[in-house]
Amino acid sequence: MSLLGRLTGTVARHALMLSIAIAAIYPVYYMLVTSLKTKSAWTADQFGLPFNPTLDNYGAVFADGRIPVWFLNSVLVTGLSVILATVVATFAAYAIARIPFTGATFLLRLMIALMVIPPAVLILPLFLGFQPLGLVNTYQGVILIYAGMIVPISVYMLVSFFRTLPAEIFDAARIDGASTLRILVSIVIPLSAPGFVTLIVVNALWVWNELLIALVFLQDDNQRTLMAGLTQFKGHYSVNEPLVMAGTFISALPMLLLFLAGQRFFVRGLVAGAVK
Amino acid sequence: MHTSIQRLGGLLAAGLIVAACGGSAASPAPGQGGSGAAAGPVDLTFWYWAESDAPGADKWMADTVTAYHALHPNVTIKVDPQSTDTLQSAFQTAAASNSGPDIASQWATGPVLSFVWTGAVSAISDLVPADEMKHWLNTNENTYQGKVWAAPMYLLGIGLAYNKDLFAKAGVTPPTGDRWTWDEFLAACAKLKAAGITPFVGGDKNGYLGAWWFANVGGQQLDSAQDLVQAVVGNKSFTDPKYTGWYSELEKLVKNGYVNNDVMSLDLDQGVRLFQQGKGAMAFTSDGMLATAVSQLGGDKVGVMQPPKWGSGKLADAGNATQSISFFVTKWSAHQKEAADFLQYLHTPDRLKAWYAATGVVAADDRFDSSLITVPQLQQMAKFETTGPQVWLENWIPPQLDGDGDIPAGQTIFSGSGSAADAGALWERVANTWRSAHPDEVANWQNLLK
Amino acid sequence: MTAIPRSIRSRRRFDATPYLFIAPAVALIALVYGYPIIRIVIDSFLAPTASGGKTVSTANYSNVVADPVFWKSAGNNLFLLIGVPIMTALALLVAAVLFEQIRGWRVYRTLVFTPYILAVPVIGATFVYLYGFNGIVNTLLRDTGLGGLAQDWLGSPSLVVPSILSVIVYREFGFGVMLFLARMATVNVELYEAAMLDGAGWWARFRYITIPQLHSVIGFFVVIELITMLSWVFAYVYSMTGGGPGFASSVLEIYIWKNAFAYRAVGIASAVAVLLLVATSVFVIIQLLVRKGDAETGEE
Repeated sequence: MSLLGRLTGTVARHALMLSIAIAAIYPVYYMLVTSLKTKSAWTADQFGLPFNPTLDNYGAVFADGRIPVWFLNSVLVTGLSVILATVVATFAAYAIARIPFTGATFLLRLMIALMVIPPAVLILPLFLGFQPLGLVNTYQGVILIYAGMIVPISVYMLVSFFRTLPAEIFDAARIDGASTLRILVSIVIPLSAPGFVTLIVVNALWVWNELLIALVFLQDDNQRTLMAGLTQFKGHYSVNEPLVMAGTFISALPMLLLFLAGQRFFVRGLVAGAVK
Repeated sequence: MHTSIQRLGGLLAAGLIVAACGGSAASPAPGQGGSGAAAGPVDLTFWYWAESDAPGADKWMADTVTAYHALHPNVTIKVDPQSTDTLQSAFQTAAASNSGPDIASQWATGPVLSFVWTGAVSAISDLVPADEMKHWLNTNENTYQGKVWAAPMYLLGIGLAYNKDLFAKAGVTPPTGDRWTWDEFLAACAKLKAAGITPFVGGDKNGYLGAWWFANVGGQQLDSAQDLVQAVVGNKSFTDPKYTGWYSELEKLVKNGYVNNDVMSLDLDQGVRLFQQGKGAMAFTSDGMLATAVSQLGGDKVGVMQPPKWGSGKLADAGNATQSISFFVTKWSAHQKEAADFLQYLHTPDRLKAWYAATGVVAADDRFDSSLITVPQLQQMAKFETTGPQVWLENWIPPQLDGDGDIPAGQTIFSGSGSAADAGALWERVANTWRSAHPDEVANWQNLLK
Repeated sequence: MTAIPRSIRSRRRFDATPYLFIAPAVALIALVYGYPIIRIVIDSFLAPTASGGKTVSTANYSNVVADPVFWKSAGNNLFLLIGVPIMTALALLVAAVLFEQIRGWRVYRTLVFTPYILAVPVIGATFVYLYGFNGIVNTLLRDTGLGGLAQDWLGSPSLVVPSILSVIVYREFGFGVMLFLARMATVNVELYEAAMLDGAGWWARFRYITIPQLHSVIGFFVVIELITMLSWVFAYVYSMTGGGPGFASSVLEIYIWKNAFAYRAVGIASAVAVLLLVATSVFVIIQLLVRKGDAETGEE
């Protein structure tokens, strides 16, 4: 290839990547810039940099007070449901991967099948079923639902991880007289630590971002998750775009920071299920 | 609304309590007077909606709750502002689980009554003395089987606001009476357009501008709200021009470029803002929106008239004021008396005065001192809203017909994606869908014709 | 010393351990999947009557089939499927470019992945402004003399679904880039070196080495995104248009949600849920077949 050809190739590649990168980051820029403008400054110029940046919108977000509450609700709901699902799935996956029993294969196939069932199919009967149990409008209710919904993918992924562990370790442990539970707790789980990180990232992202169940099952304003709350916030302040963008940016910030800090975990987590 | 982070710790427990209370039978404890002077602590939750109609209403409610708490230290009221888009579905979800707020907000008539029929509402006339209720205005909007089911707060009328400067620039003169005929309106639009001015501005992204047109102009061939219900229950067809012929008039406005070209990317409030910024000659405004326009554009720059007269039915001459939102006590509330007492408190002279000061919207109470209204444009609106019969047509259709018929039909026209005939066919199709899916509700609606 | 008798015993006696281990997971799944699936099937055959009761009939299904909003919603889900090949091709291309480790590729990689980190309601709230009639897209068009192309992207019934589609592609394709990059890193470098020696150009290497080597991960991504487009787009639609204007951007999830919670139509919502379940089952079967095929060729 000629030098010139190589050069144009390089230029073309950078042009492609630059335009995609700018487009990818633009909404973050827009949120931030808009949130620093007054309403009239935004009306006058939607896109430029704020000449007289103001933090008033952030003041208003905190005066409204709901976004911090919603944020903590999301932490609570996400944390507990992921923990519950991980514990439950660990036992099931270990049984399926390492203890031969009738129905193991069927169970694994069932998990794969359940992974694709959309929440929309399940919400109404869950709602009608939870109603007499007093589980609607409670954190317990949504935590159960979220945990249940991520059990299939958790079992599936953990089975894959557990199966990659060398068989000799298990034989050695058994010869030493370790019980099944002991093998699980002191050998399998520590050895699969990267797998667990992966799984937790995938599940936490899913629960954190889930909207439909959150909208339906947590109606009380103080109980909402961040995502459901954000849609309310947007409707409530629809005539004040900079304020909406301030609320939106604040809502996006924790995940963005977490991503920048632990990019490796995110990426590894998200791709691990598919690439081995 | 004030929420402190410290309270979070108790939230999980609070969730349990709400759940536990949800199932309990809701009969008021004996021995409690109407003054809400219960001995033990009372926690009331109020799902509140008004800010979109009446900017300032949230602040007023916060003050009102504080004032009430000072009078009744044992009563704590938690106000949850509701979002317009989910006002109905949120309460529907709550009602389905027999748990939720003690006091809720819904738009009058159709939305309120549909919850009355599912048994989610305690009649307010059973909880509030008649000599108090006789002062409330427009209670007929929520009357069913001899009972009043919800309390009004304010009257919302829609006027056609206009910008005097832009009118003058285009050589348009306002009507000598209270309103134009449709032809006069069209002629004014043509002049404004020729002068490079957007004649009518609004936003229909969320669909409410179309619903406002329906409520203001759509019923002008009808003689009564019952006429509309005839089509709802299937005795008449919505494809009859009497019901949906007006869409071809709206279509003309859009096709001729008399409406702002970004009408479909703005919500209702955002569309009105264009008028308030002087970027359009006319807009439909509520009292609150008009007040904002007056304060932004200047008192001598803004006028208001009634929507143009197009039809020849009796409703063409009726006003369009409605109590808009109605507050009601829920069936499952464990503190119905206290909740009703708080609703009464909203109608005390001091609160009515404060309401007006905060929102500039006329309170739905005959004790409201109309001399408080000092802005001439708002005096004009108050006159429209309290003179003669008042019907807000959108109240008289089931929510599904509103959501899947009324609103999409208006958007069809504003976005130019369909004709007036399409809009009419859409109404009828949705009404059919609703009727075949809800024979039980159809039976209830038929009761409204009796 | 005890090892041999133990294993013999366990072969003879029934071992309850695995069943105890799977019990909690099975219970949760029965609650969250089992019960609802049985219940939607039952409810879908119960239609309300004028007297307020219920009767066993297929009226819900016939009402659904007669409802144009249902067909519009289902059609929109199908339309969204065309986003899958678009985002797959785009992600492959970007991954291939990044894989060459062009200057700054790590920064590019981070940026390209950013939209996927932003939650859907965040993206939705922002794009409502960006796609507004006076939003950045139209402003750019007008500033570059292409004002005639400026459209009401989310307000026009004919453009709203493609606009939403573009936002979905925008957010999801970064996930594809990540997947493909990770898999490319495991491709044997010698394959590329041999091809270069044979004089194979960029495109030939991409076409004859990269794509075949990545076929299973591409398959994974495609299946995931097909399912997304069919039944996981609620948050996108809800946060941008709520299904509007009218019901122009309604999808099956919105249709179910509205009927279930706004219109009290339990039977209708259940009938559509059953239909959606059947549709996703088709993908499950395809997925299982693909996995089986992979297993037979020695991959997993």
